[in-house]
Amino acid sequence: MVTARLPGTVADAHSTATAAPDPAPAPVWRPDDEPSGWRSWAGRVVHHPVVLRLAQVPVVAFVVTIIVFLVAHLLPGDPVTQLTANVNGITPEEVAQLTSQLGLDAGLADQLRSYLVGLLHGQMGISFYSGASVSSMLADALPATVELAVAAVLLAGLLGIVTGIVAARTQGTWVDHLIRGGATIGFSVPWFVVALVAILVFGVWLGWLPILGRLPTSLTYEPTTGFVLVDAVLQGRPDLIGPWLEHLALPALTLAVTSAGFITRVTRTAFLDAQAQQWVRTARMKGLTESAISVKHVLRNASVPILTIVGLMFGGLLGGAVVTEAVFSYPGVGSLLVEAVTRRDYFVLQGSALVIALMFTGVNALVDLSVLAVDPRLRRG
Amino acid sequence: MTSLVAAAAPRRGTTGWLSARWSARRVLRGPVAWLAWGTLVALSVLVLVGPLFVTADPQAQDSVALLPAGTAGHLLGTDDLGRDVLARVLAGGRPFLVVCAAATAASALIGTSLGLLAGFRGGWVDAVVMRAMDVLLAFPLVLVAILMVAVLGGGTGNMIVAITISQAPTFARLARNLTVGEVSRDYVRASRCLGHGSWHIALREVLPNVSGQVLVQTTSTLAVTAGLSSALSYLGLGQDASAPDWGYMVRAGQELIFSNPGLSLIPALLITAFAVAANFAGDDLRDATDLGRL
Repeated sequence: MVTARLPGTVADAHSTATAAPDPAPAPVWRPDDEPSGWRSWAGRVVHHPVVLRLAQVPVVAFVVTIIVFLVAHLLPGDPVTQLTANVNGITPEEVAQLTSQLGLDAGLADQLRSYLVGLLHGQMGISFYSGASVSSMLADALPATVELAVAAVLLAGLLGIVTGIVAARTQGTWVDHLIRGGATIGFSVPWFVVALVAILVFGVWLGWLPILGRLPTSLTYEPTTGFVLVDAVLQGRPDLIGPWLEHLALPALTLAVTSAGFITRVTRTAFLDAQAQQWVRTARMKGLTESAISVKHVLRNASVPILTIVGLMFGGLLGGAVVTEAVFSYPGVGSLLVEAVTRRDYFVLQGSALVIALMFTGVNALVDLSVLAVDPRLRRG
Repeated sequence: MTSLVAAAAPRRGTTGWLSARWSARRVLRGPVAWLAWGTLVALSVLVLVGPLFVTADPQAQDSVALLPAGTAGHLLGTDDLGRDVLARVLAGGRPFLVVCAAATAASALIGTSLGLLAGFRGGWVDAVVMRAMDVLLAFPLVLVAILMVAVLGGGTGNMIVAITISQAPTFARLARNLTVGEVSRDYVRASRCLGHGSWHIALREVLPNVSGQVLVQTTSTLAVTAGLSSALSYLGLGQDASAPDWGYMVRAGQELIFSNPGLSLIPALLITAFAVAANFAGDDLRDATDLGRL
């Protein structure tokens, strides 16, 4: 049908206007090929990269949901045995009743359907361990994980981009070698080892920072949104912010240190690549200062790979957050997941795995979209 | 006949593992590279041979608990249950190294085969294989490994399977993309003109040209599996607690971190040394093959 890859479309106009006149013969363009009116417009919209990328999100999310459901069904042991493990003298009839109550006697397809319908209503089952509903547990844990991941990615981005640019500007010197070596060591060290050393140095030897949890137990905190910073503003509780930052510092630093190395490497390479381009020579000939060239011409062009790696790191951070949260007893989704696996807490495992996987899907989509926003060349339909 | 193929073959930094270009003159350049490869070899030897020289039983709780390092008969002291730390450190490296090496090798082998198949056959084979890999890559790798261990249970064999499932897609994607680039080149066409079958072309012509990148990826994956397998054990999901294992020892020692930090720091340091050395070794290979500056 409509493909909208004809010359002279809106998206093309931007690039052809700035490019030098092309001596090569233009492809033959016949007016008959141009779909008119709304069909042309609709074609451009449907085939626009942003729309195509957005359309993938629900598909991936659906597949991810089904996989998590199937994996949860593969787990050894069944929920009813777990639920009744501590109940004395339970009869087979009661077991059968409970099984049908939980909907576990239905076929796999029926169970999947009721699981999906339940999800749409925000129902994800209950914890066998605490009896709390999984959705309320996740509502408490998710903001903590988001806070941790965002803090870590900001720290890692700052650290990685700055060291990457310094390494590129001092290419070949001992500073460059030192930064590159440090970057490799940074992303090689396992999360839990960094966490352990951080606990030992800052928590035990120096005693500067708390090593467990998200807020001190002495503080009373009633979550409104669950995000401490937002709640501190909403509830007029500035006393929350200090302890919150102190508790966030070590887990966020742990994740940032292990992720910054990759960002350093990619930034350095991207910066060197962009520096070697003709437009940098042109800018220099125009008499621009080196710092203006670095920021306006080099960094702008180097930002696509940098942005991509920062985004990918954010996805990787979610995995690292699982381990890091467990080490620091930080009450996030990762801690929930690890506890659920060790306790075989069926629905909690299913719910927390789903939330982590869906966050990963969402972040990956956001990364792709922001890359499109930065580089207009990629936006051509 | 073969000279025609040779003439059409790409002349790049490397042409594969059997080529003379893969000589030790290209790898092992600089002190960092020597240190990295040396650490990998030293750790392997230490863990494989070391237990033969230590008489203490890593499981025997026959001594005074928490002896300091340097005590006669207990070079690194004893842990909270009176077990010899040196014997446990040496014995605990075995499951760690076995999981790392086996999971990395299996990921590389399975992933590369799938990628080669997808890239070489194209069409629906490509679509099916790569979409399956995309599904796995739609999850954070740590989550895949944790879920797989949850399904399969702990233990060395299951950990190898779980980590392989999480790492193989990376190899498949790499090998597939490289293969797609290679199959349209002249040397593949020349080989086909000579009447070589698909198997011959895929394994003897394409694979050697893909293997350089795969080998580099394998070395970096060794570092990833080191972190992943020890993290699983640390979280109590991997190796069962009965046998000594580095990841689990870090966790067990953490409870005594205030008084005896060595109990968790020694295995943590060894895991880190292995992962860092693997990544530096990977960098060395990458430089040696001129495959990229990343």
